[in-house]
Amino acid sequence: MQDRNPLLTLFYVLVVIFLFFPILIVVPISFSSGRFLSFPPEEFGLRWYINYFSDPVWMAATFRSLRVALGASILATFVGTLSVIGLGRKRSKTSGALTALFVAPAIVPNIIVALGVFILAVRMGVSDNELTLVCAHAAIGLPFVVLMVGSAYRQIDPTLERAARIMGAGPLRAFLTATLPPLTPAILSAGIFAFFVSFDELIISLFLMSSAETLPMRIWNDLRFEINPTIAAVSVFFVVVTTLAMTIAELLRRRAEKNNAA
Amino acid sequence: MTKRLTLLPGIALIGMLFLIPVGIVFQQGLFDPVFTTEHFVRFATRGAYMRIFWSTLQISTVVALVCLLVGYPIAYFIVRQPPARRPFLMFLVLVPMWMSILARTYSWMVVLGKEGIINQSLIWLGLIDEPIKMLFTTGAVYVAMVQIMLPILIVTCFSSMTEIDQSLLRAARIMGASPRKAFREVFLPLSAEGAITGTLIVFILSMGFFIVPALLGGRRDAMLANVISGQVSQTNWGFAAAISIVLLGATLLVLVLVRGASAKLVHHQEEAH
Repeated sequence: MQDRNPLLTLFYVLVVIFLFFPILIVVPISFSSGRFLSFPPEEFGLRWYINYFSDPVWMAATFRSLRVALGASILATFVGTLSVIGLGRKRSKTSGALTALFVAPAIVPNIIVALGVFILAVRMGVSDNELTLVCAHAAIGLPFVVLMVGSAYRQIDPTLERAARIMGAGPLRAFLTATLPPLTPAILSAGIFAFFVSFDELIISLFLMSSAETLPMRIWNDLRFEINPTIAAVSVFFVVVTTLAMTIAELLRRRAEKNNAA
Repeated sequence: MTKRLTLLPGIALIGMLFLIPVGIVFQQGLFDPVFTTEHFVRFATRGAYMRIFWSTLQISTVVALVCLLVGYPIAYFIVRQPPARRPFLMFLVLVPMWMSILARTYSWMVVLGKEGIINQSLIWLGLIDEPIKMLFTTGAVYVAMVQIMLPILIVTCFSSMTEIDQSLLRAARIMGASPRKAFREVFLPLSAEGAITGTLIVFILSMGFFIVPALLGGRRDAMLANVISGQVSQTNWGFAAAISIVLLGATLLVLVLVRGASAKLVHHQEEAH
């Protein structure tokens, strides 16, 4: 069955190198110590990491982003999981239409959501407010939670919950003891995904926030004026964090699949 | 009945932070305070805006087609490998997606800049005397956008290809079809729908691009999202909203047209067999 076409193999290798290219470039630059960019760097050091971790502006932006992303991820995961339960297992016209509604924010360009949320927030007097940003980021993270938790939910055997009900458990208890445990890995990995949707989001934050910067806003404002290697250090730090988080999410998802299959 | 109640928080969240905001965009674009088409007339009659409209469509189309041409063979390559090896090959395609788009854009700025890595290397090798202008060009926008979108197309193609019964290909070969013919007559039609879906997703996501054209493109490479953002910073909310409606409308129109055409094509093929 295996295709041993050497041309296709070479093509795959080249494409993977192209896809990794930005990461491969940013790592050595982040460890360089010269003020001016040179490649390969002449001297190595932790200068840009020290710059990043000791700069109160960068740190404030980082903690603000972590705070907002944590809030948005918890809200999206909680609301999204409840929605998945409400949509149920059977596909009907109503559940199809509602799923389309929950998934829509992933398809409509963020700039349109950003403009609408901004005008609404100004009218209600809640612009430049972290809580508004948390809610807006939760809304754009919701589609991924509904899709990821939804597909796990439909794979879980419903007879377990029904059995719990017959044995006298209330609907909440039956759900918590029979359905929630096998669903937990999917919920966690969806939560991590929603976290990074918020953490990497620029345009909604840019419209909504005026006094306080999130990390993407800080990077954006920096990049428009100069190419500063501090951004390389920030990028590498976050590639490492993201890769760790996403690997955990993927491992959780696989374990869940195995458990469900068993 | 109680189960239906759990939908309420989701509907409230989507309602307050998606449906009502999108509604407000339509209201702002169409009413001022009575119904008006003034913003749309301004958009359609000023050459600069129409040029950006067409170039947004063009960039998104080219990015989607390049992703298809590059990504389809990659997905095909992965799906033809032994099943045990596929997850790792897919993993390599997916890891680059986890890097922040801003960070990747920064990386391209460093690579393509006047004193960037490519120019420095070429000068060091003695191939050029003067740096070549690569940053702030349309080419830089294409390279960065394809790098961002390619994994999405590969994933979509790959998941539809894994559903194809591989024994069909073997059957075609046993019946005397050449590998090329087996691919063209069996594999290609069965994988076409996934490929079209992937291309459409890339197109839709490309239409809303903001960071890449702003930081890597030249002055003439702005896309609609950049114009919207510029109008917002000048507090021209009505005009910004009208451009948003145009962006959404154009995206949906292409979606419907391609879906319609591809449905006809698939139907036509089924009849031919």
